[in-house]
Amino acid sequence: MAVNPKKLRPYDEPPRKRFSPIPSAPDSAAGAFLVVSLLWLVVATGIGALGALMLTLPETLRLAFENQFPVVGTVKFEVSAATVNSGFLNALVYGWLSNAAFATILFILPRITGVRMKMEGIAWGAMWIWNLGVAGGMAAVYFPTFSGTGLLAEFPTAFDGLLLLGLLMVNGAFWLTLLASSQRLPYISLWFFGLALLAFMGAYALSSAAQAGDWLINLDDTVVALIYAFVARMIFTFWVIGVALGSLFYVVPRATFNALASGGMAFASWILWAGLSGVSALGALVDPSVPYVVTSIGNAGTILLLAPILLAVATLAMTISGRWSLTLGAGTLAFALLSMTFLLSTTVLEAIGALASVQSQVRGTEWATGPIILATLGAATFAHYAYTDHAAPRLLRRDWGDTMLTDVQMWATFVGAAVAGLSLVAAGIVHGSLIADGASTDQINGTLTWFRYAASGGLALASLGGLAALLSLFLMYTTARRAEYALVDSVPADGVPTDAVAAAGS
Amino acid sequence: MTVHTPIETRSRSIPPWAIGITVLIFLVGGVYLAGNLSGENPPIGGVPSASGSAAGGPNAQAIIAEAGCQSCHGEDLTGGVGPNLHGVADGPTSENLQDLYADHPDDWANIWIAGVDPAVSDPAMRNGMPAFGGAPYNLSEEDIATIVDYLKTLE
Repeated sequence: MAVNPKKLRPYDEPPRKRFSPIPSAPDSAAGAFLVVSLLWLVVATGIGALGALMLTLPETLRLAFENQFPVVGTVKFEVSAATVNSGFLNALVYGWLSNAAFATILFILPRITGVRMKMEGIAWGAMWIWNLGVAGGMAAVYFPTFSGTGLLAEFPTAFDGLLLLGLLMVNGAFWLTLLASSQRLPYISLWFFGLALLAFMGAYALSSAAQAGDWLINLDDTVVALIYAFVARMIFTFWVIGVALGSLFYVVPRATFNALASGGMAFASWILWAGLSGVSALGALVDPSVPYVVTSIGNAGTILLLAPILLAVATLAMTISGRWSLTLGAGTLAFALLSMTFLLSTTVLEAIGALASVQSQVRGTEWATGPIILATLGAATFAHYAYTDHAAPRLLRRDWGDTMLTDVQMWATFVGAAVAGLSLVAAGIVHGSLIADGASTDQINGTLTWFRYAASGGLALASLGGLAALLSLFLMYTTARRAEYALVDSVPADGVPTDAVAAAGS
Repeated sequence: MTVHTPIETRSRSIPPWAIGITVLIFLVGGVYLAGNLSGENPPIGGVPSASGSAAGGPNAQAIIAEAGCQSCHGEDLTGGVGPNLHGVADGPTSENLQDLYADHPDDWANIWIAGVDPAVSDPAMRNGMPAFGGAPYNLSEEDIATIVDYLKTLE
């Protein structure tokens, strides 16, 4: 029976929703991180497409000027291939992947432990602090006076501080919640998340300390450059790959309704990943001042990383067993399968690239960026897409609408990431061969033009995929049918939620 | 609606084939390491370590790093979008600089890097190479001479 609101007496009116500047409702931090992450995805891939185009038209698209200011002196502003490429990787890793990773961790943790998130408001605040830091650092990249333009982690100290504070807050929320759980042996995803969070914070603190040390006591440039290279590799192996694996280990059993195929294999993959990720980072220490054997051990570690990735992918594939038909349409499991495929291909390419003979051939070429694109825009992005497809209805309490946007999201990102990554790998091989043959710059540029156009087109396609994901989420929020999903809102003595909630595949 | 439950695990054991593949990968890694115990790393970012005694030394490395030369010429300056800078002591490797080299065999590299001389400021000729003698880089003649001295030591 419909109710006419005009007939309601004052005491029948439902209480008004209170506005809180720091929401502490369940999942508020996870939801905020998720929405912001998709915004960053569009920004990052858009910058990436421009960056790839700048390799072909460096001077046409270049913009540089300088000005004098009273206190800071001369300030340079520069939009060039170097600054745009740095901006792209920073936006991708700190903007898109890190926000998505925080969203994943904060969503999955209470659902696995059965314990309501501790410090929900603090985690929500971390979202603002982290993104202020990333946005400030990203802007600084275009002012060479204030920021380096290396691969990662060269933001000015003030923004480094914001990022570290944000990381500390998320770490605090994670560990307090996990410790409040009565589970003796938490599910494998939490092992990946826990170490990834600690390693990311440690690596970022190391690079910030190097920057501060350089500023205070003028550290040797080579030492600082080596630390930055080491940290960039640590962030890649521990954070980007680790969170992707943790997310897949949660999403695949939930989406298939199957039990995890082998706890032993999953745990073995975690142990090997935990041990070898740090060793692999030693391979980034390439300088005559570093003993060659140390770099070789690092390269061997990169080759050995194949083992944990193979074990993890095999476990997940065995878990899907019997439910392969679910991977046929765009959705959680299709995204997860694509992530696994990219993960495996990236690791194989990384292992090949770690061989000394290959390194001497492709050093300083586009090769290095290829596997990074495949890992970040392929493996990690699809793992987060799988999480988003699973989590968004539960966070927004709405069903996905019946649109083609999910297909566009999947195919545009898949084709874009594959084309961009593989064309850069191919460009690196061709470039290395041309240099070895003593080709002139004109010959090299002429040969590589089409590879660079392909990379630019691929990144533009991936950007379109990100835009489709964002639009899809917006349409879900505004027009989709309401659906009820449960929350982990109470903390019973035995650690298992009594509200018997978290509906179908929570 | 189903009750929330932890994710179940079908088995706790590791299948023999998984152990076999892991051992095989470790053997490959071990063989690789055994064959690569000695050698020498190239310089990071294309420049020798600060302890090196190359002409120009750490000062040249700092100028090169700040000017962003490696973004086009590659991490170790062996070529990227821009040409290989190793071996420039014998003259330019690019065809568009041969006339400049013929006219200025001693200081062609200084003129080219500065890029402020009308003879080398045509955008078509520069092909994306910034004029480091102008804004926003404003490298002094001494800075450019330091870079050139250093580049001539790269073989």
